[in-house]
Amino acid sequence: MAPPNNEAMIEAMMKALALSAARGIPPANFQFRPQPIVAPNADEFDFNWKQLESALRDIHEKNASGLSFEQLYRYAYKIVLKKAGDRLYENVKQFEERWFTDKVCPRIFDLISRNLVDMTLNDVPGSSVVERRSMGERFLKGIREAWEEHNTSMNMTADILMYLDRGFTQGQNRPTIFAATIGLFRDHILRATIHETNCIVFDIFNATILDQINMEREGDVIDKALLRSCTSMLDSLYRTDEENEDEKLYFEVFEPVFLESSHAFYKNECERLLQEGDAATWLRHTQRRLDEESDRCATTISLTSLPKILAVVEQELISKHLEEFMNLDGSGVRAMIDNDRIEDLKLLYQLVSRIDPKKSALKTALSVRVIELGYEIEKVLAQTDFAVLADEASATNGDKSKNKRNNASAQLTAAAVKWVADVLALKVRFDRLLSDCFADDLTLQTALTKSFAEFINRFDRSAEYLSLYIDHNLKAGVKDKSEAEVELVLEQAITLLRYLEGKDQFETYYQKHLARRLLQQKSSDLEVETEMISRMKRELGNSFTHKFEGMFRDINLSKDMSEAYAKHVRGLGASSHDQIGLAINVLGGNNWPKETVGKYLGSEQTGPGINFPAEIKALQDSFYSFYSKDRTGRKLTWIASAGTAEIRSFFPKVPGEKSGPKSKDRRYELSVPTYGMAILLLFNDLPDGESLSFEEIQERTNIPQTDLINLLTGMSAIKSKRVLWKEPNPSGKTAPGDKFKFNNAFVSPTFKVKLASVNVANQVENDEERKETDERTLESRRHCIEAAVVRIMKQRKELEHQQLVMEVIQQISGQFKPDLSFIKNRITDLIDREYLERFERDGTGRAEYRYLA
Amino acid sequence: MAEEEVSKYVTLVSNDGFEFVVLREAVLISPMIKSMVDTKNSFREARLSGRCKFEEISGQVMEKVVEYFHYWYKNREKEDVPDMDIPAELCLELLVAADFLGLDSKKPPPPRGV
Repeated sequence: MAPPNNEAMIEAMMKALALSAARGIPPANFQFRPQPIVAPNADEFDFNWKQLESALRDIHEKNASGLSFEQLYRYAYKIVLKKAGDRLYENVKQFEERWFTDKVCPRIFDLISRNLVDMTLNDVPGSSVVERRSMGERFLKGIREAWEEHNTSMNMTADILMYLDRGFTQGQNRPTIFAATIGLFRDHILRATIHETNCIVFDIFNATILDQINMEREGDVIDKALLRSCTSMLDSLYRTDEENEDEKLYFEVFEPVFLESSHAFYKNECERLLQEGDAATWLRHTQRRLDEESDRCATTISLTSLPKILAVVEQELISKHLEEFMNLDGSGVRAMIDNDRIEDLKLLYQLVSRIDPKKSALKTALSVRVIELGYEIEKVLAQTDFAVLADEASATNGDKSKNKRNNASAQLTAAAVKWVADVLALKVRFDRLLSDCFADDLTLQTALTKSFAEFINRFDRSAEYLSLYIDHNLKAGVKDKSEAEVELVLEQAITLLRYLEGKDQFETYYQKHLARRLLQQKSSDLEVETEMISRMKRELGNSFTHKFEGMFRDINLSKDMSEAYAKHVRGLGASSHDQIGLAINVLGGNNWPKETVGKYLGSEQTGPGINFPAEIKALQDSFYSFYSKDRTGRKLTWIASAGTAEIRSFFPKVPGEKSGPKSKDRRYELSVPTYGMAILLLFNDLPDGESLSFEEIQERTNIPQTDLINLLTGMSAIKSKRVLWKEPNPSGKTAPGDKFKFNNAFVSPTFKVKLASVNVANQVENDEERKETDERTLESRRHCIEAAVVRIMKQRKELEHQQLVMEVIQQISGQFKPDLSFIKNRITDLIDREYLERFERDGTGRAEYRYLA
Repeated sequence: MAEEEVSKYVTLVSNDGFEFVVLREAVLISPMIKSMVDTKNSFREARLSGRCKFEEISGQVMEKVVEYFHYWYKNREKEDVPDMDIPAELCLELLVAADFLGLDSKKPPPPRGV
């Protein structure tokens, strides 16, 4: 059973009454009221009404404290019981209407002066703001006062006439007496027309409120409580006495004009701001306006208008001229980004997010700027002369042994390092903006990533530069770096790698650079190398790093093998070659770059390998027999170009020198490339003072001409490394026809002397080499696509062109981003080679491909 | 008087002079009495510390009405309440009084603007 309520009670009483009546027992003590129930008696009605009427007057005049509620209630009760409710209802209405016309309206209309009408409705200028404000306030105060009096009186009236509503109005489907009388205010005041000016009070009222609001927008102080009372009055009045919720005067009449006037106000304001042309001002101003309007809704008008008025501000101040503001010179998005105006960008983001969840405008602006800055990096790079830069660096270091003219390799490394550093700096900058200003917004992040990828991939050397950057850092830098710094380098490298589309190209370069680091033992920390590779693996998958890992495996196995061989040799006892230590790297052909291995494997281009000196040959044979003990059938090819040798050398004292280093015998340990060793050993058998010509050396060693020139130059041109004396022109570049002899007078401050070939520009590809690499990349891409096509067709048998292309792109997108026409060419080629055939499917007329087994 | 704190009780007086002191909150179920003792309206009853004379209601009936007020107040938030005992001989008069006090309204009085 539900909690007790009146209705249930009444029901229970009625039931009890019916029961007792049925039993024929008259209710005991039942007394009829003294008055007999008769037809309405005119005198009695008049008497009761007169009492009520005087009470109504007292209520209006705030004289009600002496009145007995019970008595008044009883007058109305009696009238209603006598079925005269309709007369009472009409009488009350008439009374109130008369009261309005006689007492209230004149007071209000007096407040409406010609001036007020002119200022608010007709926009006549000429009076000061202060004057206007006080006049408006006076009018609003009058309205408020009248309203409050009316409201209180009508509440009280409705209370004593409660029985009228219950006994009469509700049955008649008429508005309650309260609704009927409170509405008089609307009908007799707000909707009244002032005859002289022919305008409606409501319009003046609205215009006055709006005028006050606009004054506040301009910075004046206004009476917020007053406006609040006025608007809440509109909130409690309805268009009709029906009092439908959605017909409140506030929504019906006031809010539309309020919004309209706000549109106009902010439209003007926005145009003014646009003329001032400062985006920072605009941002702050707009934000302030939004805050102000929120405050205004909370304190001055109604919170229900908040979303609507904010929409107005957003539309007028943000949406309409957003792009113009963002493109402003000197303060627009570009300037904000360039000058790190964090606050501005933050505000901009907040404002843009208000109007557009996708933030397209901001997204575009950011993308454009990122790409511009990306091209800027390229442009600066192209204009920088790295030869000069590096020169300055070496000059400040006082490193005079360095070549004056920086070699191409160093230049390229410098360019690569600068490029990567610049790109990373840009990335860091935008990452910071993203977290500081853009709340790590996902759409913006995606847009930024796309833009970065775009300019990085538009730059045709990005893959090479990235690999060079890693090479540079792993070679030299790591030693002096803390763990955190190394970590950073690795992380950044991976970041850039993620952007790179031509991953296969990167793979080629990385393979090449890694090979050099491993073979020449230039890598400063193998652990870091492994870490780098395991990161790539995580990022790009096993197949990407497969070759790199193979290279590491080869190197490690080779180390063990060298040791085992040394042990083996010791076990053999003394022999002619026990003085030559051998460290060997056995490289699996597939894992290593073609530059290192390929030339000597395919060897059509280079002919038979070089002629090794007899001592070395014996060593090679000995090793091979050791090697093939466990591994029968394997072939070893000696790659002299990749090796180095350390030679203990003896320079006898120079006759005639009395003092100085040349007066004594000198011993040096020369570290030379394997080719260099082959050359130097030639001079062992040569009598003192005799020389060998370039051609003789070439013939006896069979070293390729370019390598030979580089090497001989390295051993003769630089004074501190001049172990060979060249005739003519000792310090010049080697050319065919030159003659060389052993330089007895060689002096070096250090015991160990490193002789490298000069001008080899190892890391660098000169243009030709680059073309070659590109060609190779293209070649491997060709294979890659063909393999993908065949793989797909083998499985699907028949497929449409479009579908095939899509699947191909999907399969190889991890490696590079293929061109459509490129794929098409490959397909055509496969058709020519009869892997596929073209046919037309019946009915559709569309061309499809079929796999030919 | 208006400054003084409103008393927790109101006094209902019947036409034959019986006075019933009732918890103010309990009488608020009657919209009529509620308006009558509403200090905002400042009629005489509200000013005289809530002393309300009912010229139409006898002490006997008023007693039952007050009992109902308390019955309602005590049980207003409970489920499963026992019925209140109503003597059959008082029913008719009680009905009239309930009508007068606005206790029979099918729906609460319509809300009004402030």
